[in-house]
Amino acid sequence: MSTARSLVTIILAVSLLSACSQVRPWERGYLARKEMAWDTDALESALNDHIFFSKEAASGGDNAAGGGCGCN
Amino acid sequence: MLLLRRIQTTIALLLVLVGSTAFAVEEGDKVPAFDFASIYADKPNINLEGLEGKTLFIDFWASWCAPCVLSLPLYNEMYHKYKDQGLEVIAINVDNPIEDGLDFLLDTPLDFLIPQDPEGDAAELFGVIGMPSSYLISPDGNVELVHMGFRSGDMEILEEEVKKVLASD
Repeated sequence: MSTARSLVTIILAVSLLSACSQVRPWERGYLARKEMAWDTDALESALNDHIFFSKEAASGGDNAAGGGCGCN
Repeated sequence: MLLLRRIQTTIALLLVLVGSTAFAVEEGDKVPAFDFASIYADKPNINLEGLEGKTLFIDFWASWCAPCVLSLPLYNEMYHKYKDQGLEVIAINVDNPIEDGLDFLLDTPLDFLIPQDPEGDAAELFGVIGMPSSYLISPDGNVELVHMGFRSGDMEILEEEVKKVLASD
């Protein structure tokens, strides 16, 4: 019984793989579109990053440096 | 134990099916028959029957593909150089929407045939695995060369191959 349940679970899990679709070479233009960018507004995103690392005093892991004063 | 093995086999088969890639046109194959709509609304369809006896250089390109954009003016030069010897260049545009491709063509006029393929049907037919991809087809329909990408020095290689096919005709 438990093997049958495992089988059903595995089949269901594998069927979920159909939700993953491969981006074909000729479809990669979609990835280059503005709306596909992680951040929709580059300027706002840079400002948010700056505030974040200044307030959190957690510089690093990003492309800006600073000591927490938010002045650079 | 037997059941477990069956499960493993089923999973392996499913993974193979999920991961399988489409048929790709390779060197030595016959070119698949095609009938593509032109990117220009006022131009007729471009089909294999209408190009019989020609040496075909088929290229897949898009306006977002930097190496494609570099290669196309050079293909235009090649087309003018060898068209009297029977060369036909077909540059299939895969932009979706096609207006992106048309915008590019406004700035970079190209004199050869440009079919549109916004849904990727032609790319699927040829099994394109990278952009740009080009196919050199001899007049008897044999795929003589499959070339992917466009780097410096590639134009010389491609032109050499085109010359070879034109000379053997």
